[in-house]
Amino acid sequence: MNPIDAVKPWFSSRVTRWLERRMPAVQEITLHRKNIFILPTGPGLLFLTATALIFVTAINYVLSLAFGLAFLMVSLFILSILHTFRNLQHLSLRGAGAEPVFAGEDAEFVVLLGRQPSHEHEMLELRFPGCLWSQANVLDNEQERVKVFLPSTQRGVLKAPRLTVQTRFPLGLWRAWSHVDLAMSCLVYPCPLQGPLPGLVGGTTSGKTESVKTGVDDFHGLRAYQTGDSLKQIAWKSLARGQGLKVKQFVDAVDDQLMLDWEMFPGLDYEERLSRLCYWVLILAAQDIDYGLRIPGAELCLGRGDAHRNRLLSALALWQGGAL
Amino acid sequence: MTYKQAQIPRLTIWWMLGALALVVVPHLLRLPVWISALIVACVVWRILIFVGRVGFPNKIIKMLIVFLALPLTVVEYRGTGAGLDAAVCLLILGTVFKLLEMRQRRDMLIVVSLCYVLTMVGFIYSQTILAALHALLTFIVITGALLTLQRDNRRSSLGSNGSLALRLVAQAIPLAIVLFVLVPRVAPLWTMPVPVSSNKTGVTDEMSPGNISNLSRSAELAFRVSFDNNAPLQDQLYWRGLVLDFFDGRSWRRAGSSMQSYEMIERFQSRLGAEKLGGAVGYDIILEPTQQSWIYALQLAEFDAPDILQDRYYTLHTDKPVTQRFRYKMRSYLNNETDMQLAGVLRARALQLPEPEGNPRSRQLAERLRAQSSDDLDYANRVMRYFREEPFHYTLTPPQLGEASIDDFLFNSLEGFCEHYASTFVYLMRAAGVPARVVVGYQGGEINPFEGYTMVYQYNAHAWSEIWLEGQGWVRMDPTAAVAPERISLGAQAVLGDQPGFLENSRFSMLRFRNTEWLNSLRLRLDAMDYAWNRWVVSYDEDLQLQFLEAIFGDRAKQALLYALGVSILLFFIIAAYFLLGGRKRDMRDKATRLYLSLLADLAGGGITRQRGEGPSDFANRVALSRPDIAADMLRITALYVRMSYAQDGREELFGQLSEHILALRLRLSSPWRRLVLRSFPALRA
Repeated sequence: MNPIDAVKPWFSSRVTRWLERRMPAVQEITLHRKNIFILPTGPGLLFLTATALIFVTAINYVLSLAFGLAFLMVSLFILSILHTFRNLQHLSLRGAGAEPVFAGEDAEFVVLLGRQPSHEHEMLELRFPGCLWSQANVLDNEQERVKVFLPSTQRGVLKAPRLTVQTRFPLGLWRAWSHVDLAMSCLVYPCPLQGPLPGLVGGTTSGKTESVKTGVDDFHGLRAYQTGDSLKQIAWKSLARGQGLKVKQFVDAVDDQLMLDWEMFPGLDYEERLSRLCYWVLILAAQDIDYGLRIPGAELCLGRGDAHRNRLLSALALWQGGAL
Repeated sequence: MTYKQAQIPRLTIWWMLGALALVVVPHLLRLPVWISALIVACVVWRILIFVGRVGFPNKIIKMLIVFLALPLTVVEYRGTGAGLDAAVCLLILGTVFKLLEMRQRRDMLIVVSLCYVLTMVGFIYSQTILAALHALLTFIVITGALLTLQRDNRRSSLGSNGSLALRLVAQAIPLAIVLFVLVPRVAPLWTMPVPVSSNKTGVTDEMSPGNISNLSRSAELAFRVSFDNNAPLQDQLYWRGLVLDFFDGRSWRRAGSSMQSYEMIERFQSRLGAEKLGGAVGYDIILEPTQQSWIYALQLAEFDAPDILQDRYYTLHTDKPVTQRFRYKMRSYLNNETDMQLAGVLRARALQLPEPEGNPRSRQLAERLRAQSSDDLDYANRVMRYFREEPFHYTLTPPQLGEASIDDFLFNSLEGFCEHYASTFVYLMRAAGVPARVVVGYQGGEINPFEGYTMVYQYNAHAWSEIWLEGQGWVRMDPTAAVAPERISLGAQAVLGDQPGFLENSRFSMLRFRNTEWLNSLRLRLDAMDYAWNRWVVSYDEDLQLQFLEAIFGDRAKQALLYALGVSILLFFIIAAYFLLGGRKRDMRDKATRLYLSLLADLAGGGITRQRGEGPSDFANRVALSRPDIAADMLRITALYVRMSYAQDGREELFGQLSEHILALRLRLSSPWRRLVLRSFPALRA
């Protein structure tokens, strides 16, 4: 391992802690002298090199106007510190949250950028560490929305890391930036995993009705034969292939009720169960039926509609092991 | 894809092409034709790529261009001694080639940097006002190109981008000027090759019939002089350039001119012997580039420039050809005695005559006149009288002279320009054994009434002679003055103005319109401007810097320099920061709030504190209940404050009332001492 790589984590953790103290997480932050950093860019250094070359030539050939040119470039370089700084100064950032996403998708964090009447902000770039840049201008309107993307990997609450906001405007000679923590988070639902809905777990619910019913409309997969299954539903072809006695399973979406249950997927690990449940919640939400969810530690009654669906998905996203 | 590899926005390419065109155009005429053509072809190709007509050149074509163009350039410039020209040419070619493969931002940034450097390169060839304006425009366009990379291209238009670039450069100029004035100028770090143009101008080191009169066809400026005090009279203004003392029967040259290297002259420095009589005339010359290595001054000049040498003829030489406008200070002693002892080589040179001897009639004339004269001076005067009394003509267009040019001139044509008279005069002197030599340079000059300096033009070019007299040393004799005295007393333009051929080569020169009053005045004003530019900007150097600083800081200028520099940079930064970063102007509402809060602070001191979240009206009601004595005031103030906060117009009037009432109430609430403070220092009220 090379020494720089060895020092890097230590260094970045120091920087993170320092930032933590200097700029604690807040909902809204206005950038100013104390939280904007500024350094020359690569092109800035190239510009300075050209300036130095012009200066040396001016000395050697005693060219008064070349001195003038070199000084104009130095002056422009100094001046652009102020312009670049100004482009971030008084910019206010407010985290406006993010719509929930499924694990594996990019979370879209919405950041509201606001400006003072006296300031305009052109070509701002925002990103989370290692992610794609989003560009924004805050020129005409007092406030602009910008979406910043962050890939989600696992279900639960995705806490947004520090957001980098930077600008090179106007000449690209300097880069002014700030790392702000807008205390944003995004709910990440489990990644839906397609799969059959095994085992009719009817009758085990509140007792009112059997909430799960195999139907005849939509073929949905095969499951092992159980005594009492209709002969019409036996998958003869797979029996012929020597795959054992299977029953074709159909979901019947006629006005019915379905209670999804943790126990419907015996033998799978927890995350997979959650993913499958997630998939079925989405399937059922698209049908015209009432559905509910029972997982260890939580039971969500039958219902329908987007709010109901989101409630179920949230429960899946946030499941922590319940009473297990 | 990283930032550097990102595509170049289309708008940027337009700006870039514009900048490059501006940078390259002044060089196109100077460069060899095939290189100029190649440059234009490359730029056109890039434009065609841009509009989608052709593709980028492939590897083979690129290799072909580079491996053909570069060696050809080297061959083109080989042996010309113009190393710098070749380097500049390669730099331009390199930039243009880079343009052809400019795809990513990184390439673009390199082209931009090269363009900045090329802008500077232009100054090696010209530093006129026009060149400066051109460079400034170029600078703005290059900056504009850089700007387009950082802008949202859906939003930025040509106009908005241009105005932003203009604004940035304009804001940068004040500091640039301060740096220009204050940054210490250092001596060149190492010697550099200088571009020598083959286009030599002015007086040459060979004089044959016709080449001085040729100069009178030109209205170009030779140099400008400003005298420390009053300018000497016109007939004293003999600007000596070179002494020509070798005559081959037709032309005059420098004797042993191959030996006249700077190093040789340097060796003979110590042998100079001249007696300065009377006071000195101080002056300051800005010489136009001549591409020659001698410079002009009045008789017997004294100077302290290390890069100028004086030779045994008291003419002045520089260590390298004058390729840029060259400024030097001189003190001349118009009354002087030089070479009181004339011996050895110098004497032999001053008596040299062509072999075999020709011009028999002229030599007879010389012998006859010398025999009639009492001494050498008398003889010289007799020859001058001969020129005056015989029907000689002073003309720009003399007839061609035959083989025996002196005889032909003296006895056949009798028409000539100053070179004929000077040549003949020196010949006659030498023929009679009087040491004599031809001097070429300029005579006279036109005073610019606006700035009071003297302008010397090419048509002021002149040739005269110097003879050596026992007990007097070298004495100036100008036979032209005998033939056409007004040429010397009134100047060339007065005598030659009506002659055909005068200023013939400068058809569009404003000098041709000297008789139109307003045009002449415009010409003089433009020249004055150009002169001031050269004097204060182009030749701004250590001396001028010190002079300027002494005017401000007195004796301690040198020590003050660095402080002044530091302070002014800081000051610039602070002022710019104030305007750029301040920007939060407090409006009336803010001011009203501050006044209101100051009142609340006073009330809090009296034990009444506004609760969190309590609106001004609620608070006023509560105050009214607990302090009936100030209830009316408090309610009125609050009503005003609330109205003020929502009012669209008439805010100023409301603010006036509000501040009046608040002050009155606060005065009532304050202790007597505090009341005094509040009354005396309005600034402390808020």
